[in-house]
Amino acid sequence: MSKVECLAMILAGGKGSRLGVLTKNVAKPAVLFGAKYRIIDFTLSNCRNSGISTVGILTQYQPLELNWYIGNGSSWDLDSEGGGTFVLPPYMNDKDSSNWYQGTADAIYQNLNFLDMIDPQYVVVLSGDHIYSMDYGTMLAFHKKHHAKATVSTLRVPLSEAPRFGIMNADNNFRIVEFEEKPARPKSDLASMGIYIFDKETLKKYLVEDAARRDSDHDFGKNIIPKMLADGVPVFAYPFDGYWKDVGTFESLWQANMDLLSDNPPISLNDPAWRIYSGNQSLPPHYVGPQGSMVSSLAGEGAVILGRVMHSVIFYGVQIEEGAEVTDSVIMPGAVIEKGAVVDHAILGERCRVKAGAAVRGKVGSIRVYGNDSVVAPAEDDVPAAASGKGAK
Amino acid sequence: MMDNPIIGLINLQGPNCMEELSPTRPIASEPFAGKFRLMDFALSAMVNADVDTVGLLLPFHSRSVLDHVRSGKEWNLARKQHGLFYLPVDVESEVSDPKPGDIRTYYKNLRYVEVERNHYLLLSGCDVVHNTDYNRVFHQHRSHNADITLVYKTLDEEDPGKAYVLKTSPSGRIQAMEKRPGAQKGDKLFLGAILLNGDLFVSMVRQAYAQNPDQYLNDVLARNVKHLRIYGYEYTGYAKRINSLESFFQANMDMLDQENWKGIFRQDRKIYTKIKDEAPAKYMADAKVTNSLVANGCIIEGTVENSILFRKVRVGRNAVVRNSIIMQNAVIGEESQLDYVICDKDRSIQPEADLSGTKDEPLTIIKHEVI
Repeated sequence: MSKVECLAMILAGGKGSRLGVLTKNVAKPAVLFGAKYRIIDFTLSNCRNSGISTVGILTQYQPLELNWYIGNGSSWDLDSEGGGTFVLPPYMNDKDSSNWYQGTADAIYQNLNFLDMIDPQYVVVLSGDHIYSMDYGTMLAFHKKHHAKATVSTLRVPLSEAPRFGIMNADNNFRIVEFEEKPARPKSDLASMGIYIFDKETLKKYLVEDAARRDSDHDFGKNIIPKMLADGVPVFAYPFDGYWKDVGTFESLWQANMDLLSDNPPISLNDPAWRIYSGNQSLPPHYVGPQGSMVSSLAGEGAVILGRVMHSVIFYGVQIEEGAEVTDSVIMPGAVIEKGAVVDHAILGERCRVKAGAAVRGKVGSIRVYGNDSVVAPAEDDVPAAASGKGAK
Repeated sequence: MMDNPIIGLINLQGPNCMEELSPTRPIASEPFAGKFRLMDFALSAMVNADVDTVGLLLPFHSRSVLDHVRSGKEWNLARKQHGLFYLPVDVESEVSDPKPGDIRTYYKNLRYVEVERNHYLLLSGCDVVHNTDYNRVFHQHRSHNADITLVYKTLDEEDPGKAYVLKTSPSGRIQAMEKRPGAQKGDKLFLGAILLNGDLFVSMVRQAYAQNPDQYLNDVLARNVKHLRIYGYEYTGYAKRINSLESFFQANMDMLDQENWKGIFRQDRKIYTKIKDEAPAKYMADAKVTNSLVANGCIIEGTVENSILFRKVRVGRNAVVRNSIIMQNAVIGEESQLDYVICDKDRSIQPEADLSGTKDEPLTIIKHEVI
């Protein structure tokens, strides 16, 4: 088998603490998205579609469900002979007993043995919690063309948003002259997407140096890239102009789901040349009943939709009973919306049950979120007058 | 771990009874319920009983079967030990000198059955949609100390077309197996699934082949009901035999009934099929869909009623699809009207087309035909 040219390392250990109940038991990359996917499907599919066949996945926080989901990578065709999917949790080494990953750079540093074992020419460092379609092959060609030692994928963002990102200044030839992590007063709108390509040897040198520094956060954006720039290493900014979403909060997760629902969505799930691969449930097609309706919505397999669904994402195996109404919401697998219940501007976790006559009402800016297995009973003021009797519960 | 004592054998060579739809597609590959093919039901039922050695007797036109099953990975049959065995048809004699009967094909593939020792053989066709729990069949087979067990269904409606009907004693032992031109309500219709000892199968097939290689195993069984202990296993779930375009249409439409749908697509005995990684179905702003099954990859802008949409079907703006089966990758043009239509895969219906059949005679729009 020929040598691996480009190895992908996916950072998938993030806790995603701002996703609260949705990441109580799973790492953020395993959070469900878009009626059949998990967030990491996008990055894994990008790898597969970009011709990268060797992928290391760095896990740490609540890795069980993520590991189970990834398996041997066969769902994404990433189980080929000579390539493959390698889940890389922190492990004990000869230096010290317990080594949780301290930062993005440290996570890769602790797996330098793996990098040496695969021995690629280039390493692409990715995050497992972004929604986007991107050809890393094009970025690698850019990296080679500019004789870069490191390339940062960048996106133009509104200046008001810029303080949330690593912001760069690049010259006319795309060479980065300045990099500031989350600047209070951004000098440019060119933001880092947290996607990097490195020459392996350069990466290794800088990771080893950085690991020895006690004052470092061991972070690519804060430490590695600025140090490379300070040393005059050629670092380039690859301009990406497609859809890219960091789904770090309830609002952004909800919004990214809603983005799929317009007639011409900003990211396509239906491009035969760029399939989004995922695990499979072996369920039959979903069913829409005689009184059911589905408008501006997505539905996964095995769902039974007897009520009315408007502008929502309905995952596989969801049941929406007669007379229930679901609007502007994300309903995760196995949830049941009982007869006459109302769900509006909400994210419901797996196997949630909204009891008959109950109502869940959120609004933009205040999306209602229920974790897995929640049960929502009707409050007194939710019960329709005709059915309420005296204080019915 | 103990090996499963049962090996499976699925005869995919059943006659093509729907030439209206495709002259060459074998019954095994006929599409069902929005994403499946008929062979999925036979294969999945075996796998769900932990049968991990399955032989497929391939039909003459085997391309669609091979393309669908491939390594058997989706059925967990891509194994280092055991797994899937393709048993090809003797193409030369099929072309030069086709003969009736299935004894010949079993005889020519006896080696598959003989290789394993001390085992049971579970033999099934693929022309009946059912979801039998073969673990129960096996349990009953042993508790009755049966030589052979045949799976049957007591019909709640008539089933036209050549049929084998069973007569059983109160203990369940089969007293007669009769070939009829059609089965009536209340008849015990043999569903084509047989469990028996592998060595018994081998000796029966050898003997029958020596007698007359052009005969059917079912007729051999019928002659043996007196001196072999043949029992019936009653399957009580949904079952439908596909032996005509009408029964194919009806069986598909039966899946719009939630009882039937839940009876066939069970959580505890899933039906597996080829994975295609299509996106979830997308309903656009003007979609109006009622009483329909919709598979992944569909994009719907128009109206769909009482219909089954297979994977990756597009229904254009203001198109109206009623009482129809639209197979994978078909495109229904804007403003077109379809009623009682079976549209084969990869077909494009022109905008503003008006096509209708009837309940008893659905209009078929076959592959490569231009409308």
